[in-house]
Amino acid sequence: MDVEAKRIMALSISKLYSLRTQRGGLKLHRSLLLSMTMRAARDIYHTAQLLRDAEEEQVVPCAPDAAPEEPMEISKDSPQTLTPKEVAMKPQETVEEDKENRCASERHSRKRRGKTALETDFLPLKKAKMETDEEKQHLQGEVLRTNNGNSCRQAETLTAFPTNRTIVAC
Amino acid sequence: VAAGFLMSGGGGNDVQWCFSQVKGAIDDDVAEADIISTVEFNHSGELLATGDKGGRVVIFQQEIENKSQQQCRSEYNVYSTFQSHEPEFDYLKSLEIEEKINKIRWLPQKNAAQFLLSTNDKTIKLWKISERDKRPEGYNLKEEDGRYRDAATITTLQVPVFRPMDLMVEASPRRVFANGHTYHINSISVNSDNETYLSADDLRINMWHLEITDRSFNIVDIKPANMEELTEVITAAEFHPHQCNTFVYSSSKGTIRLCDMRASALCDKHSKLFEEPEDPSNRSFFSEIISSISDVKFSHNGRYMMTRDYLSVKIWDLNMENRPVETYQVHEYLRSKLCSLYENDCIFDKFECCWNGNDSVVMTGSYNNFFRMLDRSQRRDVTLEASRESCKPRQVLKPRRVCAGGKRKKDEISVDSLDFNKKILHTAWHPQENIIAVATTNNLYIFQEKVN
Repeated sequence: MDVEAKRIMALSISKLYSLRTQRGGLKLHRSLLLSMTMRAARDIYHTAQLLRDAEEEQVVPCAPDAAPEEPMEISKDSPQTLTPKEVAMKPQETVEEDKENRCASERHSRKRRGKTALETDFLPLKKAKMETDEEKQHLQGEVLRTNNGNSCRQAETLTAFPTNRTIVAC
Repeated sequence: VAAGFLMSGGGGNDVQWCFSQVKGAIDDDVAEADIISTVEFNHSGELLATGDKGGRVVIFQQEIENKSQQQCRSEYNVYSTFQSHEPEFDYLKSLEIEEKINKIRWLPQKNAAQFLLSTNDKTIKLWKISERDKRPEGYNLKEEDGRYRDAATITTLQVPVFRPMDLMVEASPRRVFANGHTYHINSISVNSDNETYLSADDLRINMWHLEITDRSFNIVDIKPANMEELTEVITAAEFHPHQCNTFVYSSSKGTIRLCDMRASALCDKHSKLFEEPEDPSNRSFFSEIISSISDVKFSHNGRYMMTRDYLSVKIWDLNMENRPVETYQVHEYLRSKLCSLYENDCIFDKFECCWNGNDSVVMTGSYNNFFRMLDRSQRRDVTLEASRESCKPRQVLKPRRVCAGGKRKKDEISVDSLDFNKKILHTAWHPQENIIAVATTNNLYIFQEKVN
């Protein structure tokens, strides 16, 4: 299951990157679906990894600090990672769930520095990840979050409406 | 049973469909510009418009043989071809804007000329298509070729007269509705008031007046303050066929919202929300993607609407929000192949759907150049194929069957043999007759009801 999850995660990321070079500008709908699928796969993959770690930790009890933490984290994690499987009926709920998932993965990525190193085997090289100003404009609207903890807060580029006004109703 | 003498729009499965015409190159090597991206009949069905990836619009006109007989064959021939949109470059964002025609919508005919709206990702244009079959001749000051005559040679005076000429069909852009959308336009829909229309992109819907190009009203805005909180986008929108205050829009989460413009100026709050609870046993990594609605169409009578998602077609009663009244599986055998379809990007294909004239049958496309006719009244469905091999005049189309697993019967095709590059995304049904237009990648097939 986690092999499949890892494969889908890698596939999603490579598709997201290739979206940037496609003609016609960033396709918001496609990138949203790709990042949702990527996140769902990532959560499954992380859960599977943690379960495996827990098994390993229990087998080797010479890390007393880690052992009591593991079961707790897993139990905290399971309801959160179950949420991608559950039906998200309302957008508001989904937003909160997503926030929980994001926080969870951030928390874990900070605690388990060794584990995040494993993830880079299917991510592009660091050089390729460095964004130029041009790419930042392409990222407008993209929801993919990088793993280094920095959020991609892109200032929205101003769209010029020289002779036109879209009247926003109050 | 609708077959027989009347050319009515009913009876999907009592109707036998036969080949009428095919338009487009026979070449297997498809030029990208020739890929058909939209197909639409006008309100009378006399005209059929197609748009392609190269930004061109081709209009076919129905010419009826043997008008005296009731059972007549009609042929569609090229009426007008013009370049609607050109590729553009947005210098501020360093983005290319594709010239591909996303949608064409006809205006109801008011006078001798025909009008249609065509749109690419960013700009909507109103085109006037008019006929010229006479020209003035006998000018006093000009020769027939336009050169001015020497004034000294003019000794008589004459009144110019109109003389017949070969029919010329001219297309001219009458309005350009630009700069209204930040995101990619996916739908346009003409209102029943014949004065306004809506255009929808991923996050916003604008309402325009057909006469006014320098401003539009924003009626739906689902853009979150923080784009990282984005969870759904608008995928399609349409005005109600009779109620000029009502429109619907579908989302990538599989929901449809019906909005009443009388309730408030900004219709962010829906009047009705149509949503079916997900079947938990079908949950997978790809549930989000396959629940995304690719098309929404009101029935002609305005009582129902139809939605298309990746695997199914759903009919909704506008008075019932919690579930569709009918669900049809288009190609359920693909459910176990979703991972492969994700890999080859086919899972993102946006299929359209359409109603027949009396709302008794719906049609949608699939892969391998198959398309599906779903008869609501008879609760039956049939799969047909648009192929060059069934192109003899009046050849009846044979129903096709896909074998999902197990032993393949004779005449069945197995799922693994399906050609996923041959997809039918765009189909249209004549508003009154049993004539359908089916677009394969670069060919347009026209099928008609078999007449005896």
